[in-house]
Amino acid sequence: MSTYVRHSHIRAVQRGIIPRWRPGTLHHRSLHQEVRPGHPDTGAGVDHGSVKDNIAVKGFPTTCASKILAGNEIPFEATIVTQLRGQGFDVVSKTGMDEFGMGTHSTTSAFENICNVPPLEKYSAGGSSGGSAVAVRSGLADLALGTDTGGSVRMPAAYTETVGFKPSYGMLSRWGVVPYANSLDTVGLLAQTVGKIRTAVIGRGLYKEHDYRDPTSIPISVRERCTAQREGYDCFTPSLATLTLQGLTFGVPLEYNIEELDPRIRQGWSDACEEIQSLGARVVPVSLPMTKNALSAYYVIAPAEASSNLAKYDGIRYGHRDNEGTSDTVDGILYARTRSTGFGNEVKRRILQGTYTLSSEAMDNYFIQAQKVRRLVRRDFDRIFKLANPLHDEQAFDLSDMDDSVKLENKLGPTQVDFILAPTAPTPPPLLEDVLNQTPLDSYMNDVFTVPASLAGLPAISIPMDIPVNRNSEEEQLLNFGGLQVIGQYWDDARVLAVADRFAGHVSRRMKNKIRELVGSEYR
Amino acid sequence: MMVRFRPTILRQYLLQGQLPTTGCLRSQARLPCIAARNRGAYLLSYAPVRAIHSESTPTASNGPADPAFVPLRKLLKDEAKKQKLSGKKKKKNANNQVVEGWELTVGIEIHAQLNTAKKLFSGATTSFNDHPNTHVAYFDLAIPGSQPVFQKETLIPALRAALALNCDIQQVSTFDRKHYFHWDQPSGYQITQYYEPFARNGVITLQARDGIAVEDGEGISVGIKQIQMEQDTAKTLAQLDNVHWVDFNRVGVPLIEIITLPEIHHPATAAALVKKVQVLLRAVDACVSGMEAGGLRADVNVSVRRSDDPSAPLGQRTEIKNLSSFKAVEDAIIAERDRQIAVLESGGTIASETRGWSIGSTETRRLRGKEGEVDYRYMPDPDLAPIVIGEDLVQHLRETMGELPDAEVDGLIEDFKLTPKDARSLVGLNSGMGVEYFWNVVDALKHRLGSSSLADNLPCYQLAANWILHEFGKLWFDEHEDDAARDFGFTEDGQCARVPVDHLADILFFLYRSQITSRIAKEILWAVFRGRVPAEYASVRDVIDTEDLWFRELSDAEYAALADEAVKGQESVVRVFMEKQEKYPQGKLMFLVGRMMRLGPEERIDPRSAERVMRERIEERYIPRLRGE
Repeated sequence: MSTYVRHSHIRAVQRGIIPRWRPGTLHHRSLHQEVRPGHPDTGAGVDHGSVKDNIAVKGFPTTCASKILAGNEIPFEATIVTQLRGQGFDVVSKTGMDEFGMGTHSTTSAFENICNVPPLEKYSAGGSSGGSAVAVRSGLADLALGTDTGGSVRMPAAYTETVGFKPSYGMLSRWGVVPYANSLDTVGLLAQTVGKIRTAVIGRGLYKEHDYRDPTSIPISVRERCTAQREGYDCFTPSLATLTLQGLTFGVPLEYNIEELDPRIRQGWSDACEEIQSLGARVVPVSLPMTKNALSAYYVIAPAEASSNLAKYDGIRYGHRDNEGTSDTVDGILYARTRSTGFGNEVKRRILQGTYTLSSEAMDNYFIQAQKVRRLVRRDFDRIFKLANPLHDEQAFDLSDMDDSVKLENKLGPTQVDFILAPTAPTPPPLLEDVLNQTPLDSYMNDVFTVPASLAGLPAISIPMDIPVNRNSEEEQLLNFGGLQVIGQYWDDARVLAVADRFAGHVSRRMKNKIRELVGSEYR
Repeated sequence: MMVRFRPTILRQYLLQGQLPTTGCLRSQARLPCIAARNRGAYLLSYAPVRAIHSESTPTASNGPADPAFVPLRKLLKDEAKKQKLSGKKKKKNANNQVVEGWELTVGIEIHAQLNTAKKLFSGATTSFNDHPNTHVAYFDLAIPGSQPVFQKETLIPALRAALALNCDIQQVSTFDRKHYFHWDQPSGYQITQYYEPFARNGVITLQARDGIAVEDGEGISVGIKQIQMEQDTAKTLAQLDNVHWVDFNRVGVPLIEIITLPEIHHPATAAALVKKVQVLLRAVDACVSGMEAGGLRADVNVSVRRSDDPSAPLGQRTEIKNLSSFKAVEDAIIAERDRQIAVLESGGTIASETRGWSIGSTETRRLRGKEGEVDYRYMPDPDLAPIVIGEDLVQHLRETMGELPDAEVDGLIEDFKLTPKDARSLVGLNSGMGVEYFWNVVDALKHRLGSSSLADNLPCYQLAANWILHEFGKLWFDEHEDDAARDFGFTEDGQCARVPVDHLADILFFLYRSQITSRIAKEILWAVFRGRVPAEYASVRDVIDTEDLWFRELSDAEYAALADEAVKGQESVVRVFMEKQEKYPQGKLMFLVGRMMRLGPEERIDPRSAERVMRERIEERYIPRLRGE
């Protein structure tokens, strides 16, 4: 399989990926080579890492793909980057993205349009961490860092047939990560296999690391309490042989079976459920009634926080400053022109949207309502998971409060599950051409399956999944995959990664081959 | 401020993605997306045209933000000059507290800098007058990717302040972002406590001695609605040619904002409240610098209504921002009250607006109206967890807070029979260090007097208070030197470098025992103050011994001889005593006594004896002599 980045010459790479300049050479390996055999997950050797351009790395500019931060270098390094360097990763590139993480297809960057890897170069690579997904899929990076605010790591993983993991909120430090919407932002990881991510987060203990510089980083004592209530942390083994799905229950949310769901994705989802059942797990329908409101809540909260976070970009202390024009006259404003020319349209749209929903006349109808919905979304999840949410007191759920659509398993209430199984995106990767003609609302719709876990702060992973292909359709043969999402209760990251690792090779032929390639005979 | 869209357009745009044909979004599309790093845009080098910002900047609402620092004393002097030039005589404030037929209502917001080692959300240290931009953390500059870390030690002085103002400490409080654009606010928002402040429902009691309006009688209570913690802004240093320098040392320094209920009805009482808050905050060590140093600022909300209908709602209020002295508080309220009354009496209505005041003016001026108000879009800060304050901490602070100034003033009046005015002055002297010094002097005097009972030697202690309050002030050459420049070297534990406790006790002891005269006592104080004790003399006693200053009173004969000498050549004065008058010419007598003092050895003259002898000599000798008897 070809893994060339489109055109596969330096200029194209530069447009998608900002390499670190060293005297005379570009510090990354030639893209003409085939994917080199990866290191075994536990093996030694230098792994190559790529980092999304909204995460600070020493020696690289950090622009968030925005003109307003063109050439900007953050004077310190993100904690997560330092931690990965400590695990032996060498950061070889910064990767392109949607401007400030605002987008679903990595098409809002001020510098470039990111496209999927050949032969899918006409298709969206997903966003906003599209560059990171492409770096992983093309073999440039063994592990890439992205950020996931409403699906920004999972969506590109689903579109590039890679693995994208969004950890529990507060597990990985955000120090050095330029915020989009602080209460939703998480650092996410992308790789070709689940194992790579599992090893980094669980095996090598990233989940234990508190960072005093990030006020939302979970304190050590709480980490220990949460970890004690969970399985899979202390008995980590990269081997899949010992993992069993026996006794686990997966929930399939009825509300996710939306009208817009592509029939092939629906079929792939259904096939995956059967595979997982055949591995010994139980798959049951569940109901998450707040799902339909979650997307609206997300698109109120995220822009509100963004409009606040982006107020700092005035061109005075760092980044782009527009010195031309007449906006800074006696009656003018010091920043208007800089902000007007420095931000792209999608960013401006969300700033205006957030500014409006926070305004005194709209606050009660939008921002406050959205926060209420957010709580209800979390309650939905708490109700169906077997495990309690360790950050909140356990609540008794009154059955009479429940929506009629929720099926009761017995007189005690509805079925409770270990994980939720859902598609990541409603469709295979769309054509970039179509994406550019979409209204903002259409593109917001894409996030419908990823946003609920973000609102609730839950761990979620997207792995590739095979979908049925019509042999007569060239396009369907190209786009023979979708993304399958596993969502777990808060701090159940270890098990989410473990079960995804376990069945990844059963729901995706590519994953099966990949795993065979990496761990050889160990894979059953 | 951003271009204002009508809500309908905004809604259309946000919900349906329809753009108006003009506006910033549309024009953006024409611009090429070239990322050119703008190397010219460094912090302090922007071109003059850009630095101009109209008066209507919202910074006024955000605590001490001073475009150009002018010392208070200079402002006051300029004001006096202006008054003189204009020939206008202002009505004395004391007679201008009430306007017949109208009721004034005032609420006050006070911003005070907390006495803390670190900034509110970063480990950078707080500093005063240090080199600009030397105490700045990444977060203070809003470097992307940096985050706030609440410095919990800043809670201690804030809690002390809240306890001193009798507030209920809230177990849980939260931080919110208040958005507005100004160059002194790097992140585009100030972090404050809008929805859930840490203290509520306080009360401050003002007594007559605090300087409230006579109309408020013996005392009043004013409710404190809430106290919130918040960040200070950067300091702007105005330069020539409309260039502004920005010092980020101050950005993020913790402030508290104290908001009173609208329960003040007289201008003088409002000023007294601000003054009292300052005294209280200093007394509990919550704040270090007061109004005169820019560490305290007040905004006042003023409204008036006709007093004939007490059930009528409060009138429309206006806000006067950034008042930087107690006098400014009182003057601005009077001016705004009078303006509002004049508007209403001529049939107009009061607009909701923000007004400004400059020291020395007679009118407030409009800064911006309601249409120019900034919508601050308060939003809970998503990075900052709520603060949870334990009852044990509050209890501990309550117990260790010490005596509040009011209780101490009451004690001084009770124990030493000081006047309320003197007691208050003593407690307020040098941020409470003066009264500690007084207590040390009292202890030293007790030791010398050999009696621990205050009542036995009450006049001696009163003398001590009197000297500390009044004689010390006379030691400075320049009477106009302000208090801040008069450094006696007082310390927290009540020592004084310029006039050590033991020296003052010695002087007062000898004076109280009539072993030296008052004049000599004051001269020795001067010598101590100038450092001649111990430089030239080992002790106060040594001065008196060496210079032979002990009070060995003249005999009556010696006084008589001195009186004779003083009367010489003053026949015209003596003649006055001959004439039959309604009142004894005491003034003339003291003139002659004064001559005696100058002519004789002053350290041996008791003015009372001199007066007695002089009177006798006039009666017995000179009058008969003039009558030719």
